[in-house]
Amino acid sequence: MKKLITTVLMLMVTLQLFAQGEGSAIADTLAGSEKIYVVVTCVTIILLGLLFFLFSIERRLKKLEKKS
Amino acid sequence: MQLIKEVKFLIGKELLLEWRSKYALNGVVLYVVSTVFVCFLSFVSLKGVTWNALFWIIMLFASINTVSKSFLQESKGRQLYIYTIASPLALIISKTIYNVFLMLLVTLIALAFYTLVFDYVPQDMGLYILATILGSLSFSTIFTMISAIASKAGNGGMLMAILSFPVIIPVIIMLIKLSKNAVDGLDRSVSLDEIATLLIINVLVGAFSLLLFPYLWRD
Amino acid sequence: MYKSWWKILGAVLVTYSTIAGFLASVPPLPILHQSIRNLYFHVPMWFSMIILFSISVVHSIKYLSSNQQDDDLKSVQSINAGIVFGILGIITGAVWARFTWGQAWSFDVKQNFAAIALLLYFAYLVLRNAIDEEQKRAKISAIYNIFAFPMMVVLLFVLPRLSDSLHPGNGGNPGFNAYDLDSHMRMVFYPACLGWILIGCWIYSILFRVSSLEKNKQI
Repeated sequence: MKKLITTVLMLMVTLQLFAQGEGSAIADTLAGSEKIYVVVTCVTIILLGLLFFLFSIERRLKKLEKKS
Repeated sequence: MQLIKEVKFLIGKELLLEWRSKYALNGVVLYVVSTVFVCFLSFVSLKGVTWNALFWIIMLFASINTVSKSFLQESKGRQLYIYTIASPLALIISKTIYNVFLMLLVTLIALAFYTLVFDYVPQDMGLYILATILGSLSFSTIFTMISAIASKAGNGGMLMAILSFPVIIPVIIMLIKLSKNAVDGLDRSVSLDEIATLLIINVLVGAFSLLLFPYLWRD
Repeated sequence: MYKSWWKILGAVLVTYSTIAGFLASVPPLPILHQSIRNLYFHVPMWFSMIILFSISVVHSIKYLSSNQQDDDLKSVQSINAGIVFGILGIITGAVWARFTWGQAWSFDVKQNFAAIALLLYFAYLVLRNAIDEEQKRAKISAIYNIFAFPMMVVLLFVLPRLSDSLHPGNGGNPGFNAYDLDSHMRMVFYPACLGWILIGCWIYSILFRVSSLEKNKQI
């Protein structure tokens, strides 16, 4: 009985492994092709952040130019 | 020696003022007791993790209310008077010591009432009391300095909450971990890390308050 | 600050680390797969944030001893630049966590503490806005900045080591040295950190120069 239970348990564990191999829960669009797109998204976010910063500097400089 | 004399004098002054009005102590004890009672009426029975978390939340708000009075409530005239008779170092030391004693008293009363009302005693009561002592120590050192900053900045209560919450969060996390160990009755050697961290935080905060307060005090 | 060689160096290093970050080989990893390349973009954000905040503390200390308005301006602007990097770090972290740990906010210690550290500096900015008088604002915010810095150090470097984390290097997860940084990755990771720190300093110097110009125009 005990052996049977352990076998079933082991089987369940391996089942989970298979499921992970197919990317069950996390297999979203971005996770395709080995998740390289996650990196692309992050780099884009950083770029956008820096561009936003550039725009804010631009605005402040415009104000300064108007004053002088 | 001059410093110790001044500290003694200032603590005496605080105690005298408190003894005359009994406002701060009575107020905060009433506050804690009624909060505990409101919690009792809404939860009815509590155990373990929630019991522990609720206690620290009550204590957090009670200590903010108590300690923030130490600087926010003093009038301009009285501040000027203290400024002429004592050094800033003596002032911050005396305020901190006074607040530590006040908070210790309040926390122990609150703990007694809290265990009584909810009829639940953590498995390792000794460690839990140690946690509350450490908690009141760190609350009072941190909040004393922050209330000095907030009172100098001009608009009291709101600023006090904004400035103190991010600073107090690491302490609260450590305290909840430590007291959870006490609730679960774990072996005391497990909690040494947390106790050491709390003590280090206290020493750091104390040292920085002593260094920075003289700059804050002189205008 | 006005020399340009270090800006060029920063630009070259960041360009190199971006190109190599996408093209260099990485060790095969179970859940992370190729997203381990995020290491070259997400982690340097935090390093530059911490460096910028340290710069700001140095200037705050300088301000307290010298009372130069320039030092105050430097410390605010480096905090502004640091907050930009902190927000970028937290967003990229959330995206990365969504696709490797399953949730954008997975109740990870480091994630929570990073958010709290950002709150600390938002509180600093609120404190500045609450005070009108210029000298007083500079002094009080410098004091709060110095007081908050050790807390941030405790939050980001001490507390995460005491508890389990999904980040590598904590609570049973293999650390940097085990698999993350084999010699190939190190060749890209360290230049990436240095490059982004330099870019952060560049941003801070631009912010400082614009705001000091604004100030001169007002007078």
